[in-house]
Amino acid sequence: MSLEMTHDDVRAALAAEALGALDGEEAEAVRAHLAGCDECRRELESLRETAAALAYAAPQVPMDADRSARLRARLVARAAADRGGASADAPPPANRIGALASGDEESGVIPISRARGRRGMMGGGWLAAAAAVLLLIAVGAYAARMKGRYEALSDRYASLDQERTQLVQAIAKRDSTVAALSGPGVQVIELASTQRRAPGGRMFWDPATARWTFFAHDLPALRPDRDYQLWLITPAGPVSAGTFKPTPDGLATVQATYALPRDQLRAVAVTEEPEGGLPRPSGQPLILGTYGE
Amino acid sequence: MPDTLVPAQADRELVRRMAAGDEAALGELHDRFSTLVHSVVLRIVGDPDDAEEVLEETFWQAWRQAGRYEEGRGGISTWLVMMARSRAVDHVRSRRRFREERWEQLPEPAEMDGGGADAGEPSPLESAQADEVRRVVAQAVAKLPPEQRETVELAYFRGMSQTEIAEATGQPLGTVKTRARLALQKLREALAVLREDGR
Repeated sequence: MSLEMTHDDVRAALAAEALGALDGEEAEAVRAHLAGCDECRRELESLRETAAALAYAAPQVPMDADRSARLRARLVARAAADRGGASADAPPPANRIGALASGDEESGVIPISRARGRRGMMGGGWLAAAAAVLLLIAVGAYAARMKGRYEALSDRYASLDQERTQLVQAIAKRDSTVAALSGPGVQVIELASTQRRAPGGRMFWDPATARWTFFAHDLPALRPDRDYQLWLITPAGPVSAGTFKPTPDGLATVQATYALPRDQLRAVAVTEEPEGGLPRPSGQPLILGTYGE
Repeated sequence: MPDTLVPAQADRELVRRMAAGDEAALGELHDRFSTLVHSVVLRIVGDPDDAEEVLEETFWQAWRQAGRYEEGRGGISTWLVMMARSRAVDHVRSRRRFREERWEQLPEPAEMDGGGADAGEPSPLESAQADEVRRVVAQAVAKLPPEQRETVELAYFRGMSQTEIAEATGQPLGTVKTRARLALQKLREALAVLREDGR
Protein backbone atom coordinates (compact mmCIF):
# COMPACT_ATOMS: atom_id res chain seq x y z
CA MET A 1 0.00 0.00 0.00
CA SER A 2 1.68 3.20 -1.08
CA LEU A 3 -0.97 5.69 0.01
CA GLU A 4 -1.24 6.49 3.72
CA MET A 5 -4.68 7.56 4.95
CA THR A 6 -5.69 8.55 8.45
CA HIS A 7 -8.98 7.47 10.00
CA ASP A 8 -10.44 10.89 9.18
CA ASP A 9 -9.20 10.71 5.58
CA VAL A 10 -10.95 7.36 5.23
CA ARG A 11 -14.16 8.69 6.79
CA ALA A 12 -14.15 11.51 4.25
CA ALA A 13 -13.71 9.06 1.38
CA LEU A 14 -16.40 6.56 2.41
CA ALA A 15 -19.20 8.26 0.46
CA ALA A 16 -17.16 8.03 -2.73
CA GLU A 17 -16.45 4.36 -1.92
CA ALA A 18 -20.17 3.73 -1.40
CA LEU A 19 -20.82 5.30 -4.80
CA GLY A 20 -18.06 3.16 -6.34
CA ALA A 21 -16.14 6.29 -7.30
CA LEU A 22 -12.82 5.80 -5.51
CA ASP A 23 -9.75 5.56 -7.72
CA GLY A 24 -7.47 2.54 -7.44
CA GLU A 25 -4.80 3.61 -4.97
CA GLU A 26 -7.20 5.36 -2.63
CA ALA A 27 -9.64 2.46 -2.83
CA GLU A 28 -6.88 0.10 -1.74
CA ALA A 29 -5.93 2.32 1.20
CA VAL A 30 -9.57 2.63 2.29
CA ARG A 31 -10.12 -1.12 2.10
CA ALA A 32 -6.98 -1.77 4.09
CA HIS A 33 -8.21 0.59 6.80
CA LEU A 34 -11.68 -0.97 6.79
CA ALA A 35 -10.21 -4.37 7.61
CA GLY A 36 -9.29 -3.06 11.05
CA CYS A 37 -11.94 -0.41 11.76
CA ASP A 38 -15.45 -1.44 12.77
CA GLU A 39 -16.65 2.14 12.95
CA CYS A 40 -15.73 2.84 9.32
CA ARG A 41 -17.16 -0.50 8.20
CA ARG A 42 -20.50 0.33 9.79
CA GLU A 43 -20.48 3.80 8.28
CA LEU A 44 -19.70 2.41 4.83
CA GLU A 45 -22.48 -0.16 5.16
CA SER A 46 -24.96 2.57 6.01
CA LEU A 47 -23.79 4.74 3.10
CA ARG A 48 -24.02 1.74 0.76
CA GLU A 49 -27.63 1.16 1.78
CA THR A 50 -28.28 4.81 1.00
CA ALA A 51 -26.50 4.60 -2.36
CA ALA A 52 -28.48 1.48 -3.25
CA ALA A 53 -31.70 3.42 -2.64
CA LEU A 54 -30.70 5.68 -5.52
CA ALA A 55 -31.98 2.85 -7.73
CA TYR A 56 -35.39 4.29 -6.91
CA ALA A 57 -34.39 7.61 -8.45
CA ALA A 58 -34.16 5.94 -11.86
CA PRO A 59 -37.40 5.85 -13.83
CA GLN A 60 -38.96 2.47 -13.08
CA VAL A 61 -38.98 0.59 -16.36
CA PRO A 62 -40.07 -3.04 -16.24
CA MET A 63 -38.36 -5.33 -18.71
CA ASP A 64 -40.42 -6.28 -21.77
CA ALA A 65 -42.65 -9.18 -20.65
CA ASP A 66 -41.46 -11.73 -23.24
CA ARG A 67 -37.83 -10.83 -22.70
CA SER A 68 -38.32 -11.08 -18.94
CA ALA A 69 -40.03 -14.49 -19.19
CA ARG A 70 -37.20 -15.83 -21.37
CA LEU A 71 -34.58 -14.47 -18.99
CA ARG A 72 -36.36 -16.05 -16.02
CA ALA A 73 -36.54 -19.42 -17.78
CA ARG A 74 -32.85 -19.23 -18.70
CA LEU A 75 -31.86 -18.39 -15.13
CA VAL A 76 -33.91 -21.18 -13.60
CA ALA A 77 -32.57 -23.64 -16.19
CA ARG A 78 -28.99 -22.58 -15.53
CA ALA A 79 -29.53 -22.86 -11.78
CA ALA A 80 -31.11 -26.31 -12.15
CA ALA A 81 -28.17 -27.45 -14.27
CA ASP A 82 -25.75 -25.89 -11.79
CA ARG A 83 -27.42 -27.60 -8.86
CA GLY A 84 -27.79 -30.92 -10.64
CA GLY A 85 -24.07 -31.06 -11.39
CA ALA A 86 -23.46 -29.85 -14.92
CA SER A 87 -20.47 -32.15 -14.91
CA ALA A 88 -22.60 -35.31 -14.92
CA ASP A 89 -21.99 -35.86 -18.60
CA ALA A 90 -19.13 -33.49 -19.27
CA PRO A 91 -16.14 -32.67 -17.12
CA PRO A 92 -15.83 -29.08 -15.96
CA PRO A 93 -13.40 -26.96 -17.94
CA ALA A 94 -10.65 -27.11 -15.32
CA ASN A 95 -10.64 -30.91 -15.35
CA ARG A 96 -10.89 -30.86 -19.09
CA ILE A 97 -7.77 -28.72 -19.34
CA GLY A 98 -6.02 -31.17 -17.08
CA ALA A 99 -7.12 -34.00 -19.33
CA LEU A 100 -5.86 -32.16 -22.39
CA ALA A 101 -2.52 -31.46 -20.79
CA SER A 102 -2.11 -35.09 -19.87
CA GLY A 103 -2.90 -36.23 -23.39
CA ASP A 104 -6.61 -37.05 -23.64
CA GLU A 105 -7.04 -39.34 -26.65
CA GLU A 106 -10.52 -37.95 -27.44
CA SER A 107 -9.56 -34.34 -27.29
CA GLY A 108 -8.26 -34.10 -30.82
CA VAL A 109 -5.22 -32.26 -29.50
CA ILE A 110 -1.70 -33.59 -29.89
CA PRO A 111 -0.41 -34.13 -26.36
CA ILE A 112 2.52 -31.94 -25.47
CA SER A 113 4.74 -34.87 -24.55
CA ARG A 114 4.07 -36.64 -27.83
CA ALA A 115 4.60 -33.49 -29.88
CA ARG A 116 7.96 -33.03 -28.23
CA GLY A 117 8.92 -36.60 -28.99
CA ARG A 118 8.12 -36.26 -32.66
CA ARG A 119 9.84 -32.95 -33.06
CA GLY A 120 12.83 -33.28 -30.85
CA MET A 121 14.79 -30.61 -32.71
CA MET A 122 12.40 -27.82 -31.84
CA GLY A 123 13.13 -25.32 -29.05
CA GLY A 124 11.25 -25.75 -25.77
CA GLY A 125 9.84 -22.17 -25.75
CA TRP A 126 8.42 -22.52 -29.26
CA LEU A 127 6.89 -25.82 -28.36
CA ALA A 128 5.33 -24.42 -25.23
CA ALA A 129 3.86 -21.53 -27.21
CA ALA A 130 2.48 -23.91 -29.84
CA ALA A 131 1.02 -26.13 -27.16
CA ALA A 132 -0.52 -23.13 -25.45
CA VAL A 133 -2.14 -22.09 -28.74
CA LEU A 134 -3.49 -25.60 -29.27
CA LEU A 135 -4.77 -25.63 -25.72
CA LEU A 136 -6.45 -22.29 -26.20
CA ILE A 137 -8.11 -23.49 -29.41
CA ALA A 138 -9.32 -26.62 -27.66
CA VAL A 139 -10.63 -24.70 -24.68
CA GLY A 140 -12.30 -22.18 -26.99
CA ALA A 141 -13.97 -24.95 -28.98
CA TYR A 142 -15.04 -26.63 -25.78
CA ALA A 143 -16.51 -23.36 -24.44
CA ALA A 144 -18.38 -22.79 -27.72
CA ARG A 145 -19.76 -26.35 -27.59
CA MET A 146 -20.86 -25.90 -23.99
CA LYS A 147 -22.50 -22.57 -24.81
CA GLY A 148 -24.47 -24.15 -27.65
CA ARG A 149 -25.43 -27.03 -25.41
CA TYR A 150 -26.48 -24.70 -22.62
CA GLU A 151 -28.63 -22.61 -24.95
CA ALA A 152 -30.31 -25.72 -26.37
CA LEU A 153 -31.00 -27.01 -22.84
CA SER A 154 -32.38 -23.63 -21.77
CA ASP A 155 -34.81 -23.59 -24.68
CA ARG A 156 -35.80 -27.18 -23.99
CA TYR A 157 -36.39 -26.42 -20.32
CA ALA A 158 -38.53 -23.39 -21.14
CA SER A 159 -40.62 -25.41 -23.57
CA LEU A 160 -41.06 -28.28 -21.08
CA ASP A 161 -41.97 -25.85 -18.33
CA GLN A 162 -44.66 -24.33 -20.54
CA GLU A 163 -45.96 -27.79 -21.46
CA ARG A 164 -46.05 -28.77 -17.80
CA THR A 165 -48.07 -25.66 -16.93
CA GLN A 166 -50.58 -26.48 -19.66
CA LEU A 167 -50.87 -30.08 -18.45
CA VAL A 168 -51.40 -29.01 -14.85
CA GLN A 169 -54.15 -26.64 -15.99
CA ALA A 170 -55.76 -29.34 -18.13
CA ILE A 171 -55.68 -31.83 -15.24
CA ALA A 172 -57.16 -29.26 -12.86
CA LYS A 173 -60.00 -28.66 -15.32
CA ARG A 174 -60.61 -32.38 -15.68
CA ASP A 175 -60.56 -32.88 -11.89
CA SER A 176 -63.11 -30.14 -11.59
CA THR A 177 -65.32 -31.82 -14.20
CA VAL A 178 -65.05 -35.23 -12.53
CA ALA A 179 -65.95 -33.66 -9.18
CA ALA A 180 -69.02 -32.08 -10.77
CA LEU A 181 -70.17 -35.46 -12.11
CA SER A 182 -69.37 -37.71 -9.21
CA GLY A 183 -70.85 -35.92 -6.21
CA PRO A 184 -73.29 -37.99 -4.12
CA GLY A 185 -76.20 -35.66 -4.85
CA VAL A 186 -75.59 -35.19 -8.58
CA GLN A 187 -78.80 -35.24 -10.62
CA VAL A 188 -78.82 -36.49 -14.22
CA ILE A 189 -81.26 -35.24 -16.81
CA GLU A 190 -81.38 -36.95 -20.18
CA LEU A 191 -82.16 -34.79 -23.16
CA ALA A 192 -83.65 -36.50 -26.22
CA SER A 193 -84.12 -35.27 -29.72
CA THR A 194 -87.33 -33.60 -30.77
CA GLN A 195 -86.25 -33.94 -34.42
CA ARG A 196 -85.84 -36.89 -36.75
CA ARG A 197 -82.06 -36.74 -36.45
CA ALA A 198 -80.79 -38.02 -33.18
CA PRO A 199 -78.87 -35.41 -31.23
CA GLY A 200 -78.98 -35.98 -27.52
CA GLY A 201 -77.50 -34.73 -24.28
CA ARG A 202 -77.06 -35.37 -20.61
CA MET A 203 -76.99 -32.76 -17.86
CA PHE A 204 -75.22 -33.44 -14.54
CA TRP A 205 -76.47 -31.11 -11.84
CA ASP A 206 -74.93 -30.98 -8.38
CA PRO A 207 -77.32 -28.81 -6.34
CA ALA A 208 -74.86 -28.81 -3.43
CA THR A 209 -72.21 -26.97 -5.44
CA ALA A 210 -74.58 -25.38 -8.00
CA ARG A 211 -72.41 -26.90 -10.76
CA TRP A 212 -73.99 -27.84 -14.09
CA THR A 213 -72.06 -30.04 -16.52
CA PHE A 214 -73.67 -30.74 -19.87
CA PHE A 215 -72.59 -33.12 -22.64
CA ALA A 216 -74.29 -33.29 -26.05
CA HIS A 217 -73.74 -35.50 -29.08
CA ASP A 218 -74.78 -35.66 -32.73
CA LEU A 219 -75.57 -31.96 -32.83
CA PRO A 220 -76.06 -30.65 -36.38
CA ALA A 221 -73.38 -28.21 -37.58
CA LEU A 222 -74.25 -24.52 -37.20
CA ARG A 223 -73.99 -21.63 -39.62
CA PRO A 224 -71.14 -19.30 -38.58
CA ASP A 225 -73.51 -16.65 -37.21
CA ARG A 226 -75.46 -19.10 -35.03
CA ASP A 227 -74.87 -20.67 -31.60
CA TYR A 228 -76.57 -23.32 -29.55
CA GLN A 229 -77.93 -22.05 -26.25
CA LEU A 230 -78.52 -24.16 -23.18
CA TRP A 231 -81.54 -23.36 -20.98
CA LEU A 232 -82.65 -24.27 -17.50
CA ILE A 233 -86.43 -24.11 -17.56
CA THR A 234 -87.89 -22.90 -14.24
CA PRO A 235 -91.44 -21.92 -13.22
CA ALA A 236 -90.33 -18.27 -13.63
CA GLY A 237 -89.12 -18.92 -17.17
CA PRO A 238 -86.01 -20.13 -18.98
CA VAL A 239 -82.59 -19.25 -17.56
CA SER A 240 -79.65 -19.24 -20.00
CA ALA A 241 -76.79 -21.57 -19.00
CA GLY A 242 -74.55 -20.35 -21.83
CA THR A 243 -74.02 -20.63 -25.56
CA PHE A 244 -71.76 -23.10 -27.34
CA LYS A 245 -70.67 -24.45 -30.70
CA PRO A 246 -70.34 -28.19 -31.32
CA THR A 247 -67.16 -29.85 -32.53
CA PRO A 248 -67.13 -31.04 -36.17
CA ASP A 249 -68.21 -34.45 -34.74
CA GLY A 250 -71.31 -32.85 -33.23
CA LEU A 251 -70.05 -33.04 -29.63
CA ALA A 252 -70.24 -30.28 -27.02
CA THR A 253 -69.51 -29.72 -23.34
CA VAL A 254 -70.85 -26.83 -21.28
CA GLN A 255 -70.10 -26.08 -17.66
CA ALA A 256 -71.93 -23.48 -15.63
CA THR A 257 -72.42 -22.48 -12.02
CA TYR A 258 -75.93 -21.39 -11.09
CA ALA A 259 -77.67 -21.83 -7.77
CA LEU A 260 -81.21 -23.14 -8.19
CA PRO A 261 -83.47 -24.65 -5.53
CA ARG A 262 -84.00 -28.32 -6.25
CA ASP A 263 -87.77 -27.91 -6.77
CA GLN A 264 -87.31 -25.07 -9.27
CA LEU A 265 -85.99 -27.07 -12.23
CA ARG A 266 -88.65 -28.22 -14.70
CA ALA A 267 -86.53 -29.06 -17.73
CA VAL A 268 -83.26 -28.56 -19.58
CA ALA A 269 -83.32 -27.56 -23.24
CA VAL A 270 -81.06 -26.58 -26.12
CA THR A 271 -82.16 -24.14 -28.83
CA GLU A 272 -80.41 -22.68 -31.84
CA GLU A 273 -80.01 -18.92 -31.55
CA PRO A 274 -78.11 -16.00 -33.10
CA GLU A 275 -74.43 -15.98 -32.16
CA GLY A 276 -73.95 -14.84 -28.56
CA GLY A 277 -77.40 -16.04 -27.50
CA LEU A 278 -80.62 -14.30 -26.49
CA PRO A 279 -82.20 -13.48 -23.12
CA ARG A 280 -85.15 -15.75 -24.00
CA PRO A 281 -85.29 -18.67 -26.44
CA SER A 282 -86.61 -17.62 -29.85
CA GLY A 283 -87.54 -21.03 -31.18
CA GLN A 284 -88.44 -24.61 -30.32
CA PRO A 285 -85.88 -26.72 -28.46
CA LEU A 286 -83.69 -29.03 -30.48
CA ILE A 287 -83.28 -31.33 -27.49
CA LEU A 288 -85.22 -31.30 -24.25
CA GLY A 289 -85.10 -33.18 -20.97
CA THR A 290 -87.72 -32.80 -18.27
CA TYR A 291 -86.93 -33.04 -14.59
CA GLY A 292 -88.96 -33.59 -11.46
CA GLU A 293 -91.75 -35.76 -10.28
CA MET B 1 -32.06 1.31 2.28
CA PRO B 2 -34.67 0.90 4.96
CA ASP B 3 -35.52 -2.55 6.22
CA THR B 4 -39.15 -1.70 5.68
CA LEU B 5 -38.68 -1.49 1.92
CA VAL B 6 -39.65 -5.07 1.31
CA PRO B 7 -40.68 -7.99 3.47
CA ALA B 8 -37.08 -8.59 4.45
CA GLN B 9 -37.69 -11.93 6.13
CA ALA B 10 -39.35 -13.41 3.04
CA ASP B 11 -36.50 -12.17 0.85
CA ARG B 12 -33.89 -13.65 3.13
CA GLU B 13 -35.74 -16.93 3.02
CA LEU B 14 -35.47 -16.79 -0.79
CA VAL B 15 -31.71 -16.34 -0.55
CA ARG B 16 -31.47 -19.18 1.97
CA ARG B 17 -33.37 -21.45 -0.43
CA MET B 18 -31.05 -20.40 -3.27
CA ALA B 19 -28.03 -21.22 -1.12
CA ALA B 20 -29.58 -24.65 -0.54
CA GLY B 21 -29.82 -25.19 -4.31
CA ASP B 22 -33.52 -24.42 -4.89
CA GLU B 23 -33.62 -22.94 -8.39
CA ALA B 24 -37.31 -21.98 -8.03
CA ALA B 25 -36.20 -19.44 -5.42
CA LEU B 26 -34.01 -17.79 -8.05
CA GLY B 27 -37.09 -17.45 -10.26
CA GLU B 28 -38.98 -15.86 -7.38
CA LEU B 29 -36.12 -13.47 -6.64
CA HIS B 30 -36.21 -12.47 -10.30
CA ASP B 31 -39.98 -11.88 -10.18
CA ARG B 32 -39.60 -9.79 -7.09
CA PHE B 33 -36.71 -7.54 -8.07
CA SER B 34 -36.43 -7.56 -11.85
CA THR B 35 -38.17 -4.21 -12.32
CA LEU B 36 -36.02 -2.42 -9.75
CA VAL B 37 -32.80 -3.98 -11.02
CA HIS B 38 -33.76 -3.51 -14.67
CA SER B 39 -34.55 0.15 -14.07
CA VAL B 40 -31.18 0.96 -12.57
CA VAL B 41 -29.27 -1.15 -15.10
CA LEU B 42 -31.11 0.30 -18.08
CA ARG B 43 -30.45 3.76 -16.70
CA ILE B 44 -26.71 3.00 -16.71
CA VAL B 45 -26.27 0.98 -19.91
CA GLY B 46 -29.04 2.67 -21.93
CA ASP B 47 -29.76 -0.31 -24.19
CA PRO B 48 -32.35 -3.08 -23.60
CA ASP B 49 -30.09 -5.85 -24.96
CA ASP B 50 -27.18 -4.79 -22.78
CA ALA B 51 -29.56 -4.43 -19.82
CA GLU B 52 -30.80 -8.00 -20.32
CA GLU B 53 -27.23 -9.28 -20.40
CA VAL B 54 -26.34 -7.42 -17.20
CA LEU B 55 -29.54 -8.62 -15.50
CA GLU B 56 -28.71 -12.22 -16.32
CA GLU B 57 -25.17 -11.78 -14.99
CA THR B 58 -26.50 -10.13 -11.83
CA PHE B 59 -29.09 -12.77 -10.96
CA TRP B 60 -26.57 -15.49 -11.82
CA GLN B 61 -24.07 -13.88 -9.48
CA ALA B 62 -26.78 -13.80 -6.80
CA TRP B 63 -27.37 -17.53 -7.32
CA ARG B 64 -23.67 -18.37 -7.09
CA GLN B 65 -23.06 -16.12 -4.09
CA ALA B 66 -26.29 -16.78 -2.16
CA GLY B 67 -24.36 -18.88 0.34
CA ARG B 68 -22.03 -15.98 1.04
CA TYR B 69 -24.77 -13.39 1.56
CA GLU B 70 -24.38 -12.08 5.07
CA GLU B 71 -27.68 -11.26 6.70
CA GLY B 72 -26.24 -8.61 8.97
CA ARG B 73 -24.97 -6.60 6.04
CA GLY B 74 -27.90 -4.84 4.48
CA GLY B 75 -31.08 -5.87 2.74
CA ILE B 76 -31.45 -8.16 -0.25
CA SER B 77 -32.38 -5.25 -2.51
CA THR B 78 -29.17 -3.42 -1.53
CA TRP B 79 -27.15 -6.55 -2.25
CA LEU B 80 -28.77 -7.03 -5.66
CA VAL B 81 -28.75 -3.37 -6.68
CA MET B 82 -25.08 -2.92 -5.80
CA MET B 83 -24.11 -6.06 -7.74
CA ALA B 84 -26.21 -4.89 -10.69
CA ARG B 85 -24.82 -1.37 -10.64
CA SER B 86 -21.27 -2.61 -10.48
CA ARG B 87 -21.79 -4.99 -13.40
CA ALA B 88 -23.60 -2.34 -15.43
CA VAL B 89 -20.76 0.13 -14.90
CA ASP B 90 -18.20 -2.54 -15.85
CA HIS B 91 -20.26 -3.22 -18.95
CA VAL B 92 -20.27 0.43 -19.95
CA ARG B 93 -16.56 0.76 -19.20
CA SER B 94 -15.62 -2.26 -21.29
CA ARG B 95 -17.76 -0.94 -24.13
CA ARG B 96 -16.06 2.40 -23.78
CA ARG B 97 -12.63 0.80 -23.90
CA PHE B 98 -13.65 -1.32 -26.84
CA ARG B 99 -14.81 1.65 -28.83
CA GLU B 100 -12.12 3.96 -27.46
CA GLU B 101 -14.80 6.48 -26.78
CA ARG B 102 -14.76 9.31 -24.34
CA TRP B 103 -17.59 9.92 -21.93
CA GLU B 104 -18.66 12.95 -23.91
CA GLN B 105 -19.25 10.75 -26.93
CA LEU B 106 -21.44 8.22 -25.18
CA PRO B 107 -25.18 8.63 -25.62
CA GLU B 108 -26.49 10.95 -22.97
CA PRO B 109 -28.72 9.11 -20.50
CA ALA B 110 -31.88 10.85 -19.41
CA GLU B 111 -31.54 13.24 -16.50
CA MET B 112 -31.91 11.61 -13.09
CA ASP B 113 -35.42 12.71 -12.46
CA GLY B 114 -36.49 10.81 -9.42
CA GLY B 115 -39.83 10.63 -11.15
CA GLY B 116 -40.01 6.87 -11.21
CA ALA B 117 -43.26 6.72 -9.34
CA ASP B 118 -45.13 7.77 -12.43
CA ALA B 119 -43.30 5.61 -14.93
CA GLY B 120 -43.79 2.05 -16.05
CA GLU B 121 -46.10 -0.80 -15.22
CA PRO B 122 -46.50 -2.07 -11.70
CA SER B 123 -44.40 -5.10 -10.81
CA PRO B 124 -44.77 -7.57 -7.96
CA LEU B 125 -42.52 -5.29 -5.96
CA GLU B 126 -44.71 -2.30 -6.61
CA SER B 127 -46.22 -2.12 -3.20
CA ALA B 128 -47.38 0.94 -1.35
CA GLN B 129 -44.12 0.73 0.55
CA ALA B 130 -42.01 0.76 -2.60
CA ASP B 131 -44.00 3.73 -3.87
CA GLU B 132 -43.35 5.48 -0.61
CA VAL B 133 -39.61 4.83 -0.88
CA ARG B 134 -39.64 6.08 -4.47
CA ARG B 135 -41.44 9.24 -3.43
CA VAL B 136 -39.05 9.91 -0.54
CA VAL B 137 -35.93 9.24 -2.67
CA ALA B 138 -37.30 11.44 -5.48
CA GLN B 139 -37.97 14.28 -3.05
CA ALA B 140 -34.58 13.94 -1.40
CA VAL B 141 -32.78 13.89 -4.75
CA ALA B 142 -34.78 16.88 -5.93
CA LYS B 143 -33.80 18.83 -2.81
CA LEU B 144 -30.06 18.28 -3.32
CA PRO B 145 -28.14 21.32 -4.59
CA PRO B 146 -27.52 20.86 -8.35
CA GLU B 147 -23.78 20.30 -7.97
CA GLN B 148 -24.30 17.53 -5.40
CA ARG B 149 -26.96 15.93 -7.57
CA GLU B 150 -24.59 16.04 -10.52
CA THR B 151 -21.81 14.37 -8.52
CA VAL B 152 -24.09 11.53 -7.46
CA GLU B 153 -25.45 11.21 -10.99
CA LEU B 154 -21.99 11.00 -12.56
CA ALA B 155 -20.70 8.50 -10.01
CA TYR B 156 -23.73 6.26 -9.60
CA PHE B 157 -25.35 6.23 -13.01
CA ARG B 158 -22.36 7.07 -15.20
CA GLY B 159 -19.80 4.99 -13.30
CA MET B 160 -17.25 7.84 -13.19
CA SER B 161 -14.50 7.87 -10.60
CA GLN B 162 -14.03 10.94 -8.43
CA THR B 163 -10.97 11.90 -10.48
CA GLU B 164 -12.97 11.64 -13.70
CA ILE B 165 -15.74 13.72 -12.13
CA ALA B 166 -13.22 16.34 -11.04
CA GLU B 167 -11.84 16.53 -14.59
CA ALA B 168 -15.29 16.59 -16.18
CA THR B 169 -16.64 19.31 -13.89
CA GLY B 170 -13.42 21.31 -13.50
CA GLN B 171 -13.63 21.06 -9.69
CA PRO B 172 -10.86 20.11 -7.24
CA LEU B 173 -10.89 16.49 -6.12
CA GLY B 174 -11.59 17.53 -2.52
CA THR B 175 -14.72 19.37 -3.62
CA VAL B 176 -16.00 16.29 -5.44
CA LYS B 177 -15.48 14.20 -2.30
CA THR B 178 -17.28 16.76 -0.17
CA ARG B 179 -20.21 16.91 -2.57
CA ALA B 180 -20.52 13.11 -2.61
CA ARG B 181 -20.42 12.99 1.18
CA LEU B 182 -22.97 15.73 1.71
CA ALA B 183 -25.31 14.27 -0.90
CA LEU B 184 -25.29 10.78 0.63
CA GLN B 185 -25.67 12.15 4.15
CA LYS B 186 -28.77 14.11 3.11
CA LEU B 187 -30.23 11.11 1.34
CA ARG B 188 -29.56 8.97 4.39
CA GLU B 189 -31.37 11.44 6.63
CA ALA B 190 -34.34 11.45 4.27
CA LEU B 191 -34.48 7.65 4.25
CA ALA B 192 -34.21 7.53 8.04
CA VAL B 193 -37.70 9.03 8.12
CA LEU B 194 -38.94 5.99 6.23
CA ARG B 195 -37.17 3.64 8.57
CA GLU B 196 -38.77 5.28 11.58
CA ASP B 197 -42.19 5.28 9.93
CA GLY B 198 -41.92 1.58 9.27
CA ARG B 199 -41.12 0.63 12.83
